[in-house]
Amino acid sequence: MDFSFDLFGNAILSGLLLGGFYAAVTIGVAISFGMLDIVNIAHPAFIILGSYIAYTANSLLGMDPILASLIALPAFYLLGMGIYQIYHVSFERRGDEALRGLAFFFGLLFITEVALVLTFGVDYRLVEARYIGPSIHIGPIDLPLRLLVPFIVSLGLIGLLQVFLSRTFLGRAILAVAQDQEALRLMGADPIRIKRIAFGISIATASVAGAILIVIQPVEPSIARDYIGRIFAICVMGGLGSFPGMVVAALALGIVESLTSTFYGPSWTPAVGFGFLLLTLAVRPAGIFGR
Amino acid sequence: MASSLTISGVDAGYGAIRVLNGVSLTVAPGQTVALLGTNGNGKSTLMKCVMGMVTPTAGSIVAEIDGSLHELVGLSTQAIVDLGIAFVPEGRRLFPKLSVTENLLLGAYRQSARVSIARNLAFCYEAFPRLSERRTQLAGSMSGGEQQMLALARALMSDPRILLIDEPSVGLAPLLVSRTIEKIKELKDTFNLTVLMAEQNFTQAIRIADAGYLIVHGEIVFEGTSAEALNDNEQIRKFYLGL
Repeated sequence: MDFSFDLFGNAILSGLLLGGFYAAVTIGVAISFGMLDIVNIAHPAFIILGSYIAYTANSLLGMDPILASLIALPAFYLLGMGIYQIYHVSFERRGDEALRGLAFFFGLLFITEVALVLTFGVDYRLVEARYIGPSIHIGPIDLPLRLLVPFIVSLGLIGLLQVFLSRTFLGRAILAVAQDQEALRLMGADPIRIKRIAFGISIATASVAGAILIVIQPVEPSIARDYIGRIFAICVMGGLGSFPGMVVAALALGIVESLTSTFYGPSWTPAVGFGFLLLTLAVRPAGIFGR
Repeated sequence: MASSLTISGVDAGYGAIRVLNGVSLTVAPGQTVALLGTNGNGKSTLMKCVMGMVTPTAGSIVAEIDGSLHELVGLSTQAIVDLGIAFVPEGRRLFPKLSVTENLLLGAYRQSARVSIARNLAFCYEAFPRLSERRTQLAGSMSGGEQQMLALARALMSDPRILLIDEPSVGLAPLLVSRTIEKIKELKDTFNLTVLMAEQNFTQAIRIADAGYLIVHGEIVFEGTSAEALNDNEQIRKFYLGL
């Protein structure tokens, strides 16, 4: 294909916007896997659940999908706390979390997926909103609002969480809990309560990520699985527990994927994406911003 | 108002292994008491009993804090920390991937420490200039001496009345041991603390101790109410110094 700067610029830009979306879907795993050492592979399923809640509110009530996801946020938070409690009592407390905990989350992934299939069927669903469709044109650059709005919401969400984690007592305790639970107890904090809250927050982000996902593309229940690899790759690439690293990794992956699919075809995207992960880990084993 | 700690007849162990046998010990208000003994005699276990990390099978541990009495046996570690008892555990137990400042701020997690957080942070940086220079450095990348300073400072951030320190000298160069011990004395005076310090390094510990107990195989074998008494004692020589 002939190289054109317009095409190149647009590919970079849509890659950036796509990366912002990847950051939103990864943020929950960056908390659960990166900060709590909980390998929640069911996270993408909760994102799809978020998509369907946004879809339902949108198609029945005509509500804005992102607004709907914010209203559903507290329910997701409670769901997350409940799941952590079950996980803690059944696996973590007994030291069984490595394999059985993984099986537990694998089970949750399939149960959620099947429940969605039974409720909504396997057809692709989409939402309607004023920002889906129009684009802003700046010279040769196209900025589709369908990608720009999720990008802004995503970075806003990450910014809020970053401030929460670095500026509040609870936030700092979340950063510390995986490093030394016993020491955290000596600070007067209950590590189990801290983890429950953090996991609640992690699942709560899936509500917003789900709404963003269905704004960007039509959704059907099994696409959750497409995201598992990418999400964990971004987490590891950014450096576990680092939000800034996660955002940089997500944007980089978005750009790499976008360039690949523009110039070489979409079927090469996963190969190049994961090749990029391997390369990053070869050069910086702790991830881009790993501590 | 100074605070005190009274341990009476404490038995404790891990599973079938009995580590402490009827241990009684008193830390009077404003005193620094040294708990002396070599490795494996139960110093750390006694400290953990006070902090609610090991539950005694018999006996009582009573803390008097600002005039009110609290039975500590049966309380959770968080509740004990909330009363105003801070613990510097063996091996420091810092959060290695958090910065110096983040570690210190976590020290002030307890509700009643949060109001005086700015004052205490400023004090810690003044008392430990080294930490002030390294505010953004990750705790895990500091030297042993610096880590011990940070562990002490972090405990002080919780605005405690009673401070427990387990083996402050472990893994430090001799000069640093002496400095750390002096620092503990200085901080104790500034914060008006009551201190219980477990230590193997006899000569260093008794430099700042008002009283000392020698623990051997989980039993208190000698109680000295002054540094002179500790220095003179036959049993100390026999059990401890091997003379």
